[in-house]
Amino acid sequence: MAECHPVGFRWTMEAKKRGATIIHVDPRFTRTSAMADLHVPLRAGSDIAFLGGIVNYIMQNERYFKDYVTNYTNAAAIVGKDFEDTEDLDGFFSGWQPDEGQYDIESWQYEGTEVAPAAGQREMFTGEPKSERGTQVSAERVDRSLQDPRCVFQIVKRHFSRYTPEVVQETCGVEPELFGKVAQSLCDNSGRERTSAFVYAVGWTQHSVGVQYIRTAAIIQLLLGNMGRPGGGIMALRGHASIQGSTDIPTLYNLLPGYLPMPKANYDVSLARYIEYNESASGWWSNFPKYMVSLLKAYWGEAATADNDYCYDYLPHLTGDHSHMTTVADMADGKLQGYFIMGENPTVGSMHGALHRKGMRELDWLVVRDFAVTETADFWRDGPEFERGEVSPEDIKTEVFFFPCAAHTEKDGTFTNTQRLLQWHHAAIEPPGDCRSELHFMYHLGRRLRDMYGDSGDAKDRGLLDLTWEYPTHGSHCEPDAEAVLKEINGYRVDGGEPVSGYLDLEPDGSTACGCWIYSGSFADGVNQPARRKPGSEQSWVAPEWGWAWPSNRRILYNRASADPSGKPWSERKRYVWWDEEVGKWTGEDNPDFIPDRPPSYRPPEDANGVDTISGIDPFIMQADGKGWLYAPNGLLDGPLPAHYEPQESVIKNPLYKQQCNPARMEWDRKDNPYHKAWNDPRYPYVITTYRLTEHHTAGAMSRWLTWLSELQPELFCEVSPELAEEKGLVNGGWATISTARGEIETRVLVTRRLPAIRLRRRVVHQIGLPYHWGSKGHSRGDAVNELVSFVADPNVSIQESKALTGNIEPGRRSTGRRVVTSGKLAAGAGGRAARDIPGRGKSPEGAHGIKTAESQEGEQT
Amino acid sequence: MGFFTDTTVCIGCKACEVACKEWNQLPDDGLFFTGMSYDNTGDLGASTWRHVSFIERPAALSNQTTGLGDFSWLLMSDVCKHCQRPGCLEACPTGAIVRTEFDTVYVQPDICNGCGYCITGCPFGVIDRREDDGRAWKCTMCYDRQKDGMEPACAKACPTDSIQYGDLDELKDKARERVEELNARGLHEAYLYGVDEVNQPGTGGLNAFFLLTDEPEVYNLPPDPVVPTKKAGEAWSSAFLAGAVMAGVATVSVLTGARR
Amino acid sequence: MRGNGDGREIDPALGLLGGEGSLQRVQRAAGSEPLPPTVWDAHAEDTSGADPSYYDRPVIKEPVWIWSVPAYFYVGGAAGAAAALGAIAQIAGGESLRPLVQKCRVIAAGGSALGTGFLVLDLGRPERFLNMLRVFRPTSPLNVGSWILSATASLASVAALLRRSRGFLGDAGDAAGLGAGLTGVPMTGYTAVLVSTTANPLWQGARRSMPALFVSSAMSSAASLLEMTALNDTEAKIVNRFGMAGSLGEIVFSTVLQREISTVERVGRPLREGLAGRLWKLSQAATVASLGLSVLPGRSRAQRMLGAAAGSIGALAMRFAVWEAGKASARDPRATFHQQRAGLGAKEVTTTAAVSGADDRRATDA
Ligand SMILES: Nc1nc2c(c(=O)[nH]1)N[C@H]1C(S)=C(S)[C@@H](COP(=O)(O)OP(=O)(O)OC[C@H]3O[C@@H](n4cnc5c(=O)[nH]c(N)nc54)[C@H](O)[C@@H]3O)O[C@H]1N2
Ligand SMILES: Nc1nc2c(c(=O)[nH]1)N[C@H]1C(S)=C(S)[C@@H](COP(=O)(O)OP(=O)(O)OC[C@H]3O[C@@H](n4cnc5c(=O)[nH]c(N)nc54)[C@H](O)[C@@H]3O)O[C@H]1N2
Ligand code: SF4
Ligand code: SF4
Ligand code: SF4
Ligand code: SF4
Ligand code: SF4
Ligand SMILES: [Mo]
Repeated sequence: MAECHPVGFRWTMEAKKRGATIIHVDPRFTRTSAMADLHVPLRAGSDIAFLGGIVNYIMQNERYFKDYVTNYTNAAAIVGKDFEDTEDLDGFFSGWQPDEGQYDIESWQYEGTEVAPAAGQREMFTGEPKSERGTQVSAERVDRSLQDPRCVFQIVKRHFSRYTPEVVQETCGVEPELFGKVAQSLCDNSGRERTSAFVYAVGWTQHSVGVQYIRTAAIIQLLLGNMGRPGGGIMALRGHASIQGSTDIPTLYNLLPGYLPMPKANYDVSLARYIEYNESASGWWSNFPKYMVSLLKAYWGEAATADNDYCYDYLPHLTGDHSHMTTVADMADGKLQGYFIMGENPTVGSMHGALHRKGMRELDWLVVRDFAVTETADFWRDGPEFERGEVSPEDIKTEVFFFPCAAHTEKDGTFTNTQRLLQWHHAAIEPPGDCRSELHFMYHLGRRLRDMYGDSGDAKDRGLLDLTWEYPTHGSHCEPDAEAVLKEINGYRVDGGEPVSGYLDLEPDGSTACGCWIYSGSFADGVNQPARRKPGSEQSWVAPEWGWAWPSNRRILYNRASADPSGKPWSERKRYVWWDEEVGKWTGEDNPDFIPDRPPSYRPPEDANGVDTISGIDPFIMQADGKGWLYAPNGLLDGPLPAHYEPQESVIKNPLYKQQCNPARMEWDRKDNPYHKAWNDPRYPYVITTYRLTEHHTAGAMSRWLTWLSELQPELFCEVSPELAEEKGLVNGGWATISTARGEIETRVLVTRRLPAIRLRRRVVHQIGLPYHWGSKGHSRGDAVNELVSFVADPNVSIQESKALTGNIEPGRRSTGRRVVTSGKLAAGAGGRAARDIPGRGKSPEGAHGIKTAESQEGEQT
Repeated sequence: MGFFTDTTVCIGCKACEVACKEWNQLPDDGLFFTGMSYDNTGDLGASTWRHVSFIERPAALSNQTTGLGDFSWLLMSDVCKHCQRPGCLEACPTGAIVRTEFDTVYVQPDICNGCGYCITGCPFGVIDRREDDGRAWKCTMCYDRQKDGMEPACAKACPTDSIQYGDLDELKDKARERVEELNARGLHEAYLYGVDEVNQPGTGGLNAFFLLTDEPEVYNLPPDPVVPTKKAGEAWSSAFLAGAVMAGVATVSVLTGARR
Repeated sequence: MRGNGDGREIDPALGLLGGEGSLQRVQRAAGSEPLPPTVWDAHAEDTSGADPSYYDRPVIKEPVWIWSVPAYFYVGGAAGAAAALGAIAQIAGGESLRPLVQKCRVIAAGGSALGTGFLVLDLGRPERFLNMLRVFRPTSPLNVGSWILSATASLASVAALLRRSRGFLGDAGDAAGLGAGLTGVPMTGYTAVLVSTTANPLWQGARRSMPALFVSSAMSSAASLLEMTALNDTEAKIVNRFGMAGSLGEIVFSTVLQREISTVERVGRPLREGLAGRLWKLSQAATVASLGLSVLPGRSRAQRMLGAAAGSIGALAMRFAVWEAGKASARDPRATFHQQRAGLGAKEVTTTAAVSGADDRRATDA
């Protein structure tokens, strides 16, 4: 955190000043570790075992927060008879379909009901989703004594019982004593009087089981009663300045604004069906229709009427997986003509740069918007394959359009940060020369397209022509007014057009329009709420008047959990939100995240529906059952509970299950994307992990172009332990060549004890650390680390596995003769096959896992 | 005014280094990978007025536990000390180096003649000579910002308040409290370097003083620095004595030599 | 920022640094200066342990002066001694010694003029020397020295110009000669004060003996120069005795100096090894030789010339030895560390040493 969120880290230091214990779990000793009370080095890719060990510790020593667990989590819920655990099936949960390469979640459900999750995979791609109409969560069977062997609590307890300190040591290389220290101080600092928070970023996410890492943390926090309470929670430290904003109002292919799912072509055939499949009969998501209809009204205004499903059909409908890597793979197979790259430098920043360049070579046209002509914009003449003369610019037909972009200092807009806090930034100066903002580019592109199609009678063009596309512009560049966009996002009454005060005002009948329901309220009373800058000293410690947080300026989500079932704060020390008996309302430091006047004593009647199903003790209102999910009956593609799987490429066999890797992981089984052996590949004996440096930013275009930053970390280097240096004859400050089946890079060597050899019980594992910021352009140049990394991803969010892979290291500089797998002959010994999946049980041929379009496979048969 | 640099909260982000170069418009001084942990700056100089040191130490901090065992990473942002008795100032023959109204040590670029004597006079190896025109350069404690009532760029940029700028007496109190607090929390190594005359008699105390957790040498700081002029007396007397003897010898030679 | 290939087609000036600081050209940035080799094999372990340093990086800066400065030490010293001898001869010696006085005045004038030239060469621009004289700062030996030099240079040149004059002008010349003699005395020693009043461990450690050494060496330098001129017996005797005393002092004080700095092994090191060490030995050998030649009976011209040459070489080599040794000492952080740990830092001149570790670690400091 100190490395990558130094400014946010000041608050960690504040907490430390006040006596908080800082624990840092990381394969390396980083600038964060330097500030920590406790630093735990572990083997990259083994955190589920570590966290699972903590769950087990909590269970065995009964350190869980009983009142919280029984009332606020789904611990008491009884799971259907057919559910079978990984412990029984050696790494599989029940419902695995080898031919689909994915799970059927039927058997994971609560007994007697099926619920929709708050987020995630709200339904599966394949097969008809189950409609949830009429579901009564009260129909779900519970055992408040938590004794029933099929209740969630017992299932979780059984599931993690094998995650003992010894197994942790075996898997992570963490001494039992050190592990005990962590588990104990975590429990000691949780409960009524104290809370603990988890902070993570991509060290946890960039794995083929990434989502389950965070799930494990969630289970711990729920068991310890650390959710919805001040000083608790799980903080996802986001990446780019507004990356949170770009998931809220998504740049993701499978989401609409506000986490509404993108319609699927094969069954969301009408608005009615779409709503039927997605609204939850119970909990907050029963409001689904209001948000969807308001969104459609925001898109197509006048044209959107009840009779035409509010232009629902204009929406693009998904035919399958269009995630980043799948798209690039399709590109490489010649399935795409054009590509927009705005604010990204994938040939450096994304996995397997060579495959990215191959993909772009197959395009007709490419648009790049960036500050500088990046490695990506120059893909047609810049890359190892050109050095080696395997490809020459003349043979590349792709036409590249480069648009210089305006920087954040040169445009108005918001940043949404980790805390869901929207903060407005004002343009300080005009963008120089031809540089324009994203808003300018998109608005004027849309305007011109609409002019072009102006007189088209074609039905297919209605979607474009009916769009509400009128935004006031200003200045010599005709810059669209960003506030006008925020107004639209906030939402307004269709007649009159005055802004709504929040999503409670939204209606399913087309009388309101709203660009993103969770952002509704950001322009309440016609005031730009994110622009508020009232100093903390002039307001309460929650500082509600600094910026604006979604939803409804709430600073802590699910904060009803900060009070006990009777509505009183768990403790005075930790009072935050509580039930005011006199007024008969919820009140407190923050905006209560609950139905304002619903008393703690309320229990839904049998025939309750919609939000009425939320009882007085259901803090997690976004969940259909109002409870925090220790066990996720729905929403995840790779299991209702986390289980430790080894990375796609590992140095050891999975110590816990016969199943080596996440069975549902996404693989791209292509010639040009070879994998190493699942474990113990003699050619690639070391673990490689990649990460960032404070001095540079991601793919480097924002830092390597600056001499002041470049001089601080002037060259790509690898970090190795003195032992490994000894073993390989690597010299500090000298050169090393690091290779995988995908590619080969040269780096300087930094011999340091900060990247220790990991001691498992039976063997020692050496790790190689690589910051990935370098590319061939800018002041500070170096090989791109992602030439080494393969395409493989987590099934739930298709994030790449760039934090744990295997490779080799040799002293000396890179050869220039070696071929890359995307051009010329396949590199020698690539495509190592080994049983990542239990033969027969797992999908065969290997590599057809996860969500993907059928076609993208065919491409490979040739 | 002065700096209290608390190395126990420095996260080595180098924001101070960059902020300094940006504010003072100093150029980069070369893209060199040094192999010295994360320190690719090396030292203070004419084009680097802030320098963050990275010490990978095979010894643990007494209040920290790490799976690496006996290891710790000490981070420290170094700068001109703005000494109470500045070796540079007392050595400067032109009076280019002055004590400002903020009680800081400032080099007037228009008066400096590049004689380089201050450079040998600084017991901390801070001030250095510009390679182009030979004039001496160092931290000005952002004299221009101070004049406008702003805090120095480096302190402003420091996310963890490792660099604290302010009234010296207040800083000293803060610093002493901080040491007690740290000792109470089991960090017995913590101590102040150069906080005042008693603490560092040789320099009369530093206006930019530090909280350290290991011997000064580890941070490349002299353990018992002294402003050279404190020792000039002995040199002068030796010189005059020798001079007198020379005069004597000359007289004797003349008288004896001239006698017939 | 260098370059403007940022693709934004903006005025590169927008990306360039402005202001006084940005004007400087850093050679290291231009890639001219290779990396200090020590850095490349520096290992984390060097940063601590029993005898810690920060990757062996210097703790103080090397002196930035060029060769002309030690050269000035030599000529300046010779000039000072000559001026002094000339003045004494002018008073104590009768008319018969007038030629010697005149020779002395010429050497003094020439030496201090040349010396000033050497200094200006180091500063770059002549007018920069004048900055030295815009204030009088007793704490700065360089400032005091500049005044002394200027005084000597001007007086000595007047004295030299009027050396043959008679009457009023002659008296004026004599007065200037006396004045030059007076300022010439400190001229011989202040350079040693200048060098040893620095943070440089070796120079500072040698501050007691170095001035005496410089003065003695100045005497032998002046004598050697005079020896090279045609002298009558009386003059020869005088010069010879003056020079012998100088050489003797040089030998004695160089030994004392070496002992003085060797109390801390690390500080004395540069005078024992490397370029400085060789120069140091050369200077001692040459001085001994010149002394030997001058005590030997018989005063043949060749013998005198040889002795004079040896004396000059000894004096010159000594200045450059001290110079090089200082640079070497500045490069070695442990010279500073050990010296100060040995109580030869501030503790020498203050009652207590600085706090250099938490109380419960102080024990280990000693
Ligand atoms: N200075 C700077 N700040 C940045 C960025 C930048 O490039 N530079 N990038 C921004 C972006 S886009 C993002 S996403 C964030 C990312 O912020 P972080 O996630 O903090 O960044 P990383 O350094 O990639 O990874 C964090 C740590 O994960 C560790 N790690 C690797 N594998 C594992 C593992 O298996 N388990 C555990 N527990 N740790 C592991 C690495 O050693 C590394 O120290 O930073 C943002 N902030
Ligand atoms: N091996 C490995 N690979 C990784 C990671 C890792 O940890 N390990 N981390 C991954 C993560 S978390 C991320 S986020 C990616 C980042 O990878 P990328 O996003 O590809 O890398 P960036 O350099 O952040 O690209 C952002 C680009 O946007 C430009 N830019 C900045 N502001 C603007 C603007 O206002 N408009 C426009 N149009 N452009 C702008 C910048 O100049 C820069 O070129 O890297 C991923 N890759
Ligand atoms: S770079 Fe910006 S966002 Fe990242 S820590 Fe620094 S200030 Fe915060
Ligand atoms: S640290 Fe050096 S440069 Fe700074 S004031 Fe003291 S003596 Fe002068
Ligand atoms: S270099 Fe400049 S500042 Fe330093 S002593 Fe000489 S004149 Fe003074
Ligand atoms: S005070 Fe100003 S000049 Fe000195 S280091 Fe800080 S930023 Fe640089
Ligand atoms: S800015 Fe502060 S925290 Fe960052 S390196 Fe400098 S002193 Fe340390
Ligand atoms: Mo990111």
